[in-house]
Amino acid sequence: MKDYGKVKAVQDVSFHLEPGEVFGLLGPNGAGKTSLISTIVTLEKPTSGQVLVYGFDVTRQPSEAKKCVGFVPQEIVHHGFFNVEEIMRFYSGYFGYWNNQKRIEELLKKLSLWPHRHKKVRQLSGGMKRRLLIAKALSHNPKLILLDEPTAGVDVELRDQLWELIRELQKEGITILLTTHYLEEAEALCQRVGIIHKGKLLALGPTQELIEKFTQREIHICTKEPKSAITHPLLISQEGNRLIFRIPSHQTVGEILKSLQISLDDVVDLQTKEGSLEQAFRRVIGEELSC
Amino acid sequence: MLEKQIPFWSLLVREVMRFYKVIVQTVLAPIVGSSLYLLVFGVSLGRQIKMADISYLGFLVPGLVMMGVLNNAFQNASSSIISSKFSGDLEDYKVSPLTYQQIIWALALGGLFRGLIVGTVTFCIGQLFYWGMHHQFLGVAHPFLLILFLIIGGLSFAMIGLSVAIRVKSVDQLGAFGNFILVPLIYLGGVFFSIKTLHPFWEHLSHFNPVLYFINGVRYGILGTTDVSIPLALGIAVLTIVSVNVFSLYSLRNSSFSRW
Ligand SMILES: Nc1ncnc2c1ncn2[C@@H]1O[C@H](COP(=O)(O)OP(=O)(O)OP(=O)(O)O)[C@@H](O)[C@H]1O
Ligand SMILES: [Mg+2]
Repeated sequence: MKDYGKVKAVQDVSFHLEPGEVFGLLGPNGAGKTSLISTIVTLEKPTSGQVLVYGFDVTRQPSEAKKCVGFVPQEIVHHGFFNVEEIMRFYSGYFGYWNNQKRIEELLKKLSLWPHRHKKVRQLSGGMKRRLLIAKALSHNPKLILLDEPTAGVDVELRDQLWELIRELQKEGITILLTTHYLEEAEALCQRVGIIHKGKLLALGPTQELIEKFTQREIHICTKEPKSAITHPLLISQEGNRLIFRIPSHQTVGEILKSLQISLDDVVDLQTKEGSLEQAFRRVIGEELSC
Repeated sequence: MLEKQIPFWSLLVREVMRFYKVIVQTVLAPIVGSSLYLLVFGVSLGRQIKMADISYLGFLVPGLVMMGVLNNAFQNASSSIISSKFSGDLEDYKVSPLTYQQIIWALALGGLFRGLIVGTVTFCIGQLFYWGMHHQFLGVAHPFLLILFLIIGGLSFAMIGLSVAIRVKSVDQLGAFGNFILVPLIYLGGVFFSIKTLHPFWEHLSHFNPVLYFINGVRYGILGTTDVSIPLALGIAVLTIVSVNVFSLYSLRNSSFSRW
């Protein structure tokens, strides 16, 4: 739990990450995502409660915990007169790596920053600044990476690169927690997501399960002959030979067809549209708003 | 053992490089300042000031050396913290395994190092002026004590700079501390005059100013003369560094590392 005076930024949030997974922390602006991440990296002290990183309590054994964690803050960090390479050297030094040149070179090349290694932060473009934050966070080979809105304000190409990077990191066995406002991003990357709103954890689970739980599938059926008006509880529209149904995930298309006595020969085209994480997100947040 | 201190060494290297990169502002400017003091007060006005056994210029040199050390040690640590608060990289210290004592000692040594450069150059320029006036150089009466007072003073003032900078909520507050507390303490600490020349009331009051003991320690180190007892001065110096260290630790623990 984390209070800022009267503001209860995070309350009763409890979850754990599976090693090697990509976990998405979702929530509207001011939900408490950054506050939560800040308590993991000890920038904020929890008002109450406990955070464990690979078994180390972040308030009691901070240095062991911190060594396992790479932190990419939401906002760009500047470093005055230092250039990219110096920044990387100092930062890995703080984590106990004195001569880390090989790793630094490898990371800067991987993140396409190598040609810019003699530039100061303010001489980099927005995307490069963000990549530098990620390079810093990876400099000490952390087992867990916290990415606070890594793709905010990033162009399509860089976003693709970052997605690729996140998948690569996952392949290397690194656990990733990321926050994002792009729900298709979370859907594409995260095996599990947690949705928080006003500091409370409203939903938590495997991405696919949440989508199935909170959304319905849409089925478009196109028949050879126009059907006479049908009444069916799941039907949402009927126009000539086009029928659209919204069905819960546990029901199958076959069951619908059977109950309407439409044979497969009769069907010209059949499309199903899966619910999206965005719809699930809206449902979860919306439910909270309405009560 | 040494492995554990890598974070400390990294931060120390950063601190030294930080002022080295802007050496004109951080080292050259203060040296110009103290040279002007030497020229205006020591050489010009000093001719009219009669002191018992030494010229005023000779009296002034140790004071200005120590003033340079204390001021620059304070400045270095405080501006390092303040600029990091603006740029956001202060958070780096907190999210990494750097311990509070490692932060304190890295900043203290960085500040001391800058202070010693300014102090040494001031001393050399003072020697040149002194030679111009007296055709001989100032001797160093007690080199070991001199170095001891310089080091303890520089470290202490850098730690004060760190604690004040981490606690303040704005640059103005830091400026206020400098103008209303630090500068008066240094100026009234006997840089420019012997407190023996003061009205007894003020002379008495001066004994509560810790800077007095640092300045006189250095003056004793160079000239062999002092307004205060040297064992007492040493005791107060040690007490100062211990208490500002504790205060720094307390300040780091209870302050936010978040950006402004
Ligand atoms: N230092 C602070 N002092 C007081 N209140 C704060 C502080 N930091 C954050 N808050 C408040 O805590 C709540 C959660 O903020 P937080 O930054 O964690 O949200 P977030 O989920 O990261 O939002 P965003 O998506 O906009 O980044 C907000 O109501 C915010 O105003
Ligand atoms: Mg945030």
